[in-house]
Amino acid sequence: MSPAFVSVEDLVIAYGDVRAVDKVSFGIVAGEQVTLLGPSGCGKTTTLRAVAGLERPRDGRILIDGKPAFDGSAGIDAPPEKRNLSMVFQSYAIWPHMTVFENVAFPFRVRGRPTAELKPAVDKALELVDLARFADRPATMLSGGQQQRVALARAVAFGTKLVLLDEPLSNLDAQLRLQMRDELADLRKRLGFTALYVTHDQEEAFSLSDFVVVMRGGRIEQAGRPQEIYRNPRTRFVAEFLGVRNILPCELAHGGGEVRLPDQTVLRGREVEPGAPAEAPAIAFRPGDVRLGDQPGPGQGGSGVVTRSLFVGDVQHVFLKSGPIGLCAHVRPRPGLEEGKTLFWRVAPEDCLILRK
Amino acid sequence: MSAPPSQKAGRLRRGVGQERLLAVALSAIVALMVLVPLVAVFVGAFGDEDGFTVTALTDVLASSRVLGNTLTVGLGTTILATGLGGLLAVILVRTDTPWRSGLEQLVLLPLYITPLLTAVAWSWLGSPRGGLINLLAQSALGLSGSLVNLHSAGGVVTVAALAYAPLPFLLISGALRGMDPALEESARVHGASITAAFRRVTMPLALPALLGSALLVFVQSLGLFSVPAVLGMPASFYVAGTEIYRLLNSYPARVSQAAGWGLLLLVVTAALVALQAAILKRRSYVTITGKAFRPRIVQVGRWRPVLLGIVLLYVLAAVVLPVATLCWAALVNFITVDPKLMSFDLRHFAYVLFTYPKTLLAARNSLVLGLLTATIICALGLAMAWVIVRSRGMAARFLDQVGMMPLAIPPIVLALGLLWSYVGLSWLPIYGTIGILLLAYVTHYLPFGLRALSSAVRQLHPELEDAARVSGASLLGTLRRIVLPLTRPTLVATWTLLFILSLQEISSSILLYTAPSTVLSVAVFDLWEAGNVNALAALSVMQLLVTFAALAVVARLRQKAVAA
Repeated sequence: MSPAFVSVEDLVIAYGDVRAVDKVSFGIVAGEQVTLLGPSGCGKTTTLRAVAGLERPRDGRILIDGKPAFDGSAGIDAPPEKRNLSMVFQSYAIWPHMTVFENVAFPFRVRGRPTAELKPAVDKALELVDLARFADRPATMLSGGQQQRVALARAVAFGTKLVLLDEPLSNLDAQLRLQMRDELADLRKRLGFTALYVTHDQEEAFSLSDFVVVMRGGRIEQAGRPQEIYRNPRTRFVAEFLGVRNILPCELAHGGGEVRLPDQTVLRGREVEPGAPAEAPAIAFRPGDVRLGDQPGPGQGGSGVVTRSLFVGDVQHVFLKSGPIGLCAHVRPRPGLEEGKTLFWRVAPEDCLILRK
Repeated sequence: MSAPPSQKAGRLRRGVGQERLLAVALSAIVALMVLVPLVAVFVGAFGDEDGFTVTALTDVLASSRVLGNTLTVGLGTTILATGLGGLLAVILVRTDTPWRSGLEQLVLLPLYITPLLTAVAWSWLGSPRGGLINLLAQSALGLSGSLVNLHSAGGVVTVAALAYAPLPFLLISGALRGMDPALEESARVHGASITAAFRRVTMPLALPALLGSALLVFVQSLGLFSVPAVLGMPASFYVAGTEIYRLLNSYPARVSQAAGWGLLLLVVTAALVALQAAILKRRSYVTITGKAFRPRIVQVGRWRPVLLGIVLLYVLAAVVLPVATLCWAALVNFITVDPKLMSFDLRHFAYVLFTYPKTLLAARNSLVLGLLTATIICALGLAMAWVIVRSRGMAARFLDQVGMMPLAIPPIVLALGLLWSYVGLSWLPIYGTIGILLLAYVTHYLPFGLRALSSAVRQLHPELEDAARVSGASLLGTLRRIVLPLTRPTLVATWTLLFILSLQEISSSILLYTAPSTVLSVAVFDLWEAGNVNALAALSVMQLLVTFAALAVVARLRQKAVAA
């Protein structure tokens, strides 16, 4: 593995007694994107702001390009303006008293660069985000999407190697969000900067990143390549967060690979962490992996009564109840899924995960 | 590509250190400004040449007549002004009374005319002997006695309430506008009539504003000087403010007794502020946000002319009559109700400008004081506001609390404390110069600037500053390039308001001025004491012209800011 361009080691950020970030460590390989993913309040934005120098950590180390930006034990804490990075803010933070051009030119201006030198770079950045024709507009006279592009242009114009992005797409409507997501991916491919990205949206995280760090309550819950995390969520929290809706408490049977549900159904599945202590064992599978039939079919599963059946367009959400357990299946809409019917459900062993906590 | 962060730069303590330095420096300045005079009042009240004594305090508590008068004026003015201001606010914000926006501007004018001039004009109109109303009544109706007598407790309360009603009006109308109309609508939907919804939802929600403005008026009227000086002293009706003035101007000056009065006023206002905090703590509302809603207008039908009449009557009594009287007295050759004897020219203006020796000196001092007060408060206030809004430390809370404290200090008490602190202080010889007046003005008006600028900074998204830091700007660079330009409209408006207010200040000036450091409001008061009414009127009219010119400039700038 190539050496990390950014490395965060044992980072602790606390307000009084509350630890917002507790011993978080990760690294970013040069040119790659790492995404901090988690629900609000998990410490992801605080971590990002600490890398920027906008929060003061209590302890730990942050190295950028091999140099310490923060080191709790050595008493080093470089101010944000000395860290040589740029950032896209959730609110875009476009300065309303400047034109589009001046917003993008700001990093050059504060460093005393002459107009002749900065103009080509600013023009190029505005072209990249397709805003060249708005250069002389007051920044306030732009739509949300356009302001977002100005923020992007400002982040890339100066050519810092590291760009931080704090939920940059969360203020856009759904359609624009998809479009900007693709543009963001393009931009990074073209310019090759290293990125640290924060979001609560798993699709955004998976589609844009080389590495995903799932955070919870100030700690890292799981970290890995997107496919790996999607396929093997290691804890109940990560599974839930990634949309694995069926998480059924169970007993482990036969030493591993097999569990017994409260209604005595026995299911086989993949062990995610075979050695770990079974604190709260559960079996988890995605609603999309469940198949429903009127007759018992081959493979593992059970039966249940339909308690609720919701038509949501491409799929039908069917909720089944069998004794103490309830589960959900996403299937293609068809007749025969009405409430009160008894249906047989099946799920493949390779789609079932055995979680131990 | 710019230079990577060097090891050396990395070792610099970062922005937090600079922020802390700024916060500590500001705290020290504010503590010196506010706390020193307060301590001095305490020391003054309990000490004389012989050491510790409580005579001053017992003397004060023994003068039951002045105590009673002070309480009457304080409570009377508070109730009347808050009721009047609240009524005007409800009428102009929540009903379909015609010409609301124009009337709203007029209702605020007494703030700029000042209690002193309002009192002077009403004294001419309503003094028992020689008051224009009484003279007119005598000549028209053949009455022998007097119809009205404003040289009385009732007169002081009425005129003070007229002058101070705009304060509660401002606060309560702001609260009414900041209230989400959905709160009242949901009361209606759930079965409340208009009046029940108003009583059970709107009123309780406006209570903090109501209490806050009542307290503000009470603090102002408890230490009131100008109105009781003009309307009360001729009838030997003394309140604490005029009593302090009398004690200091008697020979020999009875300084420690004056300090005793000051201490009493301080204790009472401090107790009330604590009480208000306790009341509001139990009911903390977040319904009144910084957001402005479009208030729901109530159709009042046949009550419209009545409500319009109430507002017009107020405008007549608090604006039109006083200003008209002043203008008339400035232009007429002498005060008379006989039209055959009246002639009009500019001789009083000429006298005030060219003959009266104090005018030019006072005008120059007032101008310098106005410029300096406004500039210093804007600079200090912006830095304080930024620290208060942006940092989490103890210093921020200290700055917020101590910075707002002067609101609860009657200006005459502040002046007393400053007098006590700086008279004879050889290493800081500001007494006898406009320096001590400047200190008084900056301290007294600091909360006004702080409040306006805090809300301006609060409206700036913090990420606007973060973005500048990340883009390479230092802390000071960020303040200069981002915070300053974005708060400029508020700064300009605040600066102008502070300039106007300082031009008019009298309650602390009257204790702190000396012959070379006299100011305009004191010159007006001198003319009043000398009985030179026409010259007084001419000087006042000129002062009003300057004030309204400044107001017009602010209005223009506001329009421009809205258009931009």
